[in-house]
Amino acid sequence: MSLAIPDVALIDNSDERAPLVLVLDCSGSMLEENKVGLLNDGLKTLEAELKNDPITARCGRVLVISFGGDNNVEIMGDWTDAMDFTPPALMAGGLTPLGTAMKCALDEVESQKAQMRSAGVSYKRPIIMLLSDGEPTDDWRPVAADCKNAESAHKVNVMAIGIGEQANGQILGAFSNKGALNLNGLKFKELFIWLSRSIQAVSRATSGTTVQLNPVDSWAQVQT
Amino acid sequence: MAAPLHWQVFLASAAGSHHLESAAPCQDAGHYLVAGTTLVGVVCDGAGSASHGREGADFVARSIAQWLHETAADALAAPVASQTIAAVLERARGQLEALALAGARSLRDYACTVVGCLATAGNAFFFHLGDGYAVYRDASGACTVSPPENGEFADQTYFLSEAGWMQHLRVTILPVPQRGCLIGLMSDGTAPFAINRRRDGFFAPFIDPVVNYLRTAAPDEGARALLGVLADEKTFAITADDKTLLLALAA
Repeated sequence: MSLAIPDVALIDNSDERAPLVLVLDCSGSMLEENKVGLLNDGLKTLEAELKNDPITARCGRVLVISFGGDNNVEIMGDWTDAMDFTPPALMAGGLTPLGTAMKCALDEVESQKAQMRSAGVSYKRPIIMLLSDGEPTDDWRPVAADCKNAESAHKVNVMAIGIGEQANGQILGAFSNKGALNLNGLKFKELFIWLSRSIQAVSRATSGTTVQLNPVDSWAQVQT
Repeated sequence: MAAPLHWQVFLASAAGSHHLESAAPCQDAGHYLVAGTTLVGVVCDGAGSASHGREGADFVARSIAQWLHETAADALAAPVASQTIAAVLERARGQLEALALAGARSLRDYACTVVGCLATAGNAFFFHLGDGYAVYRDASGACTVSPPENGEFADQTYFLSEAGWMQHLRVTILPVPQRGCLIGLMSDGTAPFAINRRRDGFFAPFIDPVVNYLRTAAPDEGARALLGVLADEKTFAITADDKTLLLALAA
């Protein structure tokens, strides 16, 4: 039997943050099969998952970047603590300026890190998750190389995920040293549950070695 | 002449929610030895990414405590102490490497951090490699802290298994231990609730009730009570990591 010590305060004094950027394809093709609708539902699942876990609710910092329209890259609101995260309602239409969006994500990660440093807040390695169902309509190659270099320098962890059969896995894979994965049967919900738990996994990883990810078999297409 | 100083030491390790969920063991380990006024305490945190982090942490903590204790029968001058501590860590690393080779594994599979203290009648030191915290609080409440060394990110640190480990070994000279002082060694899972926001000492609302209780506790009872605190489910809302705390009270 354990003996209880009375009146011990158990609260978190650490102020640690785990930044997450979602880079989401809102081009015209996302209207097919209601992919954008399923993505919006998936974001609501992410919101619930983040808020359900006390550690992710407190540590997570989230930013959403959408790309589509007339070569339009939009930062959907400010960085928010996971406990305050409200998903935007995404609309689909137009082109796929994926390279510009990823450049924006890299810049946002660096400026967020600078802000946290100046505020004396420590942080985990940020995650950028890219979701796209097609292929870029802009000059993506230099940005893809920047993403891989940033990963090699342990600055960020990039997850590139294709949606459906039209997604160009080869191009998406050029944005991460881990290559790209493909979403199996539009399982956005499963993907976002996994993502929320991966933020916790990031907060547990204790070394400078490769970030270990939870198994992806709940949502990723099996490679054949 | 006053009676010599006497150490009361309490050590506990609790698995974090991450390891409890996967039915994996706690990857932290701690060991200590007391003889007369000499105290050696070591806490090691096995890397989550290392397959045998637990064994590495246990072997390293046990070996360092034992060997430093054997070496430190007499008070050591500061420069000698630094060399002695480095030599003992190097010896532990060498034996760990032999252990790894014998199991056809790499040293990296046994990666762990080290945070420890060596206190004798004449002087005292912290030695520290990687994350975790060591805190010395004198009877007046003034603290000396050995903070964690991380890379850019809070989830990166340095391990004894790494080739350049010695560049990251930090030895802190402490005041000569007096009655009423408190030494705390902890893994990084314990720090968020045991260290204050300014990171310059213990978090009083945590440590004061614990120390008040331990002062009058028998060794076994105190260690069990400390384990109860570390395993409290309220800690699961703070960290998913394993939590180890060694507290040494000088009476």
